[in-house]
Amino acid sequence: MSTIELTNVTKTFDKHIAVSDLSLSVPKGSVYGFIGPNGSGKTTTLRMIMNILYPDSGEIRVFGEKLKSSSCDRIGYMPEERGLYQRMKVRDLLVFFGGLKSDNNIKSKVDQWLERLELSQWANRKVETLSKGMSQKVQFIATVVAQPELVLLDEPFTGLDPVNSEVIKDAILELQSNGTTIIFSTHDMNMAERMCDFIFMIFKGKKVLDGTLSSIQDNYANDTLRVQTEKGADVLQHIDGVEKINDYGNLQELRMKQNADSHQILKTILERTRIRSFNIVKPSLHDIFIRIAGPEAKETNHA
Amino acid sequence: MRKILKYARREYLAAVRTKGFIIGLILAPVLMSGGMIAFLLLKDRVDTTDKRMAVIDHSGVVAQALVEAAEYRNANDLLDKQSGKKIRPAYFFEQVKPDTNNPSRQLLELSDRVRQNDLYAFVVIRSDVVHPGPNTEGPHISFYARSAALDDVRDWINWPINNHLRKVRLADAGIKESEVKDLFYWVNVEGLNLISLDKSTGIIGDARIASPIESLVVPIVIMMIMFLMIMMSVPGILTSVMEEKTQRIAEVLLGSITPFEFMMAKLLAGVAVSLTSSAVYIIGGVMAVTYMGFDAYVPYHVLPWFFVYLLLTIVMFGSISAALGSTCSEAKDAQSLNFPAILPALIPMFIYFPVAKEPMSAFATWASLIPPFTPLLMVLRLGTPASIPVWQPYVGLVGVLLFTLFFVWAGSRIFRIAILMQGTPPKLSNIMRWAFRG
Repeated sequence: MSTIELTNVTKTFDKHIAVSDLSLSVPKGSVYGFIGPNGSGKTTTLRMIMNILYPDSGEIRVFGEKLKSSSCDRIGYMPEERGLYQRMKVRDLLVFFGGLKSDNNIKSKVDQWLERLELSQWANRKVETLSKGMSQKVQFIATVVAQPELVLLDEPFTGLDPVNSEVIKDAILELQSNGTTIIFSTHDMNMAERMCDFIFMIFKGKKVLDGTLSSIQDNYANDTLRVQTEKGADVLQHIDGVEKINDYGNLQELRMKQNADSHQILKTILERTRIRSFNIVKPSLHDIFIRIAGPEAKETNHA
Repeated sequence: MRKILKYARREYLAAVRTKGFIIGLILAPVLMSGGMIAFLLLKDRVDTTDKRMAVIDHSGVVAQALVEAAEYRNANDLLDKQSGKKIRPAYFFEQVKPDTNNPSRQLLELSDRVRQNDLYAFVVIRSDVVHPGPNTEGPHISFYARSAALDDVRDWINWPINNHLRKVRLADAGIKESEVKDLFYWVNVEGLNLISLDKSTGIIGDARIASPIESLVVPIVIMMIMFLMIMMSVPGILTSVMEEKTQRIAEVLLGSITPFEFMMAKLLAGVAVSLTSSAVYIIGGVMAVTYMGFDAYVPYHVLPWFFVYLLLTIVMFGSISAALGSTCSEAKDAQSLNFPAILPALIPMFIYFPVAKEPMSAFATWASLIPPFTPLLMVLRLGTPASIPVWQPYVGLVGVLLFTLFFVWAGSRIFRIAILMQGTPPKLSNIMRWAFRG
């Protein structure tokens, strides 16, 4: 069963088409990752699901019924730009935001979440005294404290250090294990690969990817060679059959041309240096993202 | 409704728990009535430095009387009878012989003496002052001073000069003053309010003396309190919406409440804040005037209208303020929009005096039936002793109600679109388009 169903949804602002003819189905209990370059339509899509923006055409169904304002009580929403009353105390603020969705035992839930995210000692401090990471955790609690069935997180990991990123990631996965459906947008492709059951990419308002990571990767051939050599990227230049080199310092990814022979490429590299490792892999999500939205794609489009 | 109340409660508490609100509650009436308080405190603080003046009497019959009147005043009227403290300056007049050859030169010399602080002022009395007849052109008595327009001496010399002229004229006519004493008794016209019947006892009551307090001060104070309430809550709504938008709190809230609920909660909080302040002022004011024995002047019949109109006017102006606040992307925008947002409340402040003075005039009636002006001007008129026709406050109420509904409708349409829009300046064309075309 789908928690969210978008059917041919279009939204324009003046003459700019923010979302074009988008259809999407988000299964219940899944973690769905929204990726895409800045300004591609991710936030507009999330706002339409929250009923904050209304689509020009198409239909949005949430929890099996047409979207209405009361649906929002069952949805937690964390916008990209964090917004907290700076002069309120942390606990009062969370009780207020939670209370807007539900009156059901909010105070004890607030205390549980503060404990869970190690913020109990800050409960009676004003929000303005918190660090950026702590504020972000408070914003996250405000989103989930009313136990929504669907949680929309717009770039929840932006600005967080690795420790706090792990804390939020664990909290998201715990919510999922309790049956909550999660949608989050992110620019962190590693996080998307590791966490998401499904990945959806929107580019210039149009859906360009939608499915599990493996199904997306299956659409791209095993055209990537991951190589570690003694002499690094310098010796990998000008090899027949190699279309592009991504240099990550300790390792390099070579994208092969269509019908290129991986054995021939391996032989050429061996003639130039000693190889520490050599793998034929599927392209990473990062690589796929770049192929779709990077300068290379623009050149292709222009051509 | 639950969400509106919850959010309005937060907004209300956030507003009234601040030090700014408490200080404003105390300071606002002090500042608004500051002029009056300063006047009352300083009215007895007059300059008691003695004043020396010259008098040129072309008639030859007035100057001596003026000198004698000043001497009498200096002997009898300068000291406070209880404390014995000097409370007025003494006046001394120096008689100067008129220079008929070069009168202008003489006036210049006396003016220079005033400039050198040798004299305070000088008086010139024309030769025809006793019998001016039909010749009323020009002044018969001229008073020259640094600031002659507002001068206590100029006011005072009127009395001894005219009193003496009256005696001279009677003598010239061969009439003894003692025989026509009644001629000079001045009778006053006393202003009284209308007589009314006490329906419970059937007794016709006595008319009360009409006082300026009842006719002007009380209605103006009531209107000022309402104006103060508008000023204390309406600009706050604009600023708070702008802050929630720029601090991105608005989008978080819109994840839980609709734009309409958002705006309604803001208005409800604004109404609650103004009712709190006005309750403090009204209850405090009634207690104060009762304690001072002026409770007869409290127009209790106006208070229900006051609160009904106050509630509607906050909603009316508040919805526009919330809408304008939602169009602001930075504090600069809000500063420039605060004035137009309260302009409808400012216009009655420019025209309140003629309305209070003649509350039954056509101008007062029509001005008080223009919906944005109705709350302030109708309460002002109702506060006067005049008998405002019963239908007028009701008609005014209907107009205000319709305008309020329109402003809430248009305001909520603007609010819904503008609250999420960043970087778009609040142009009038945009605001009108959002209001009428969505």
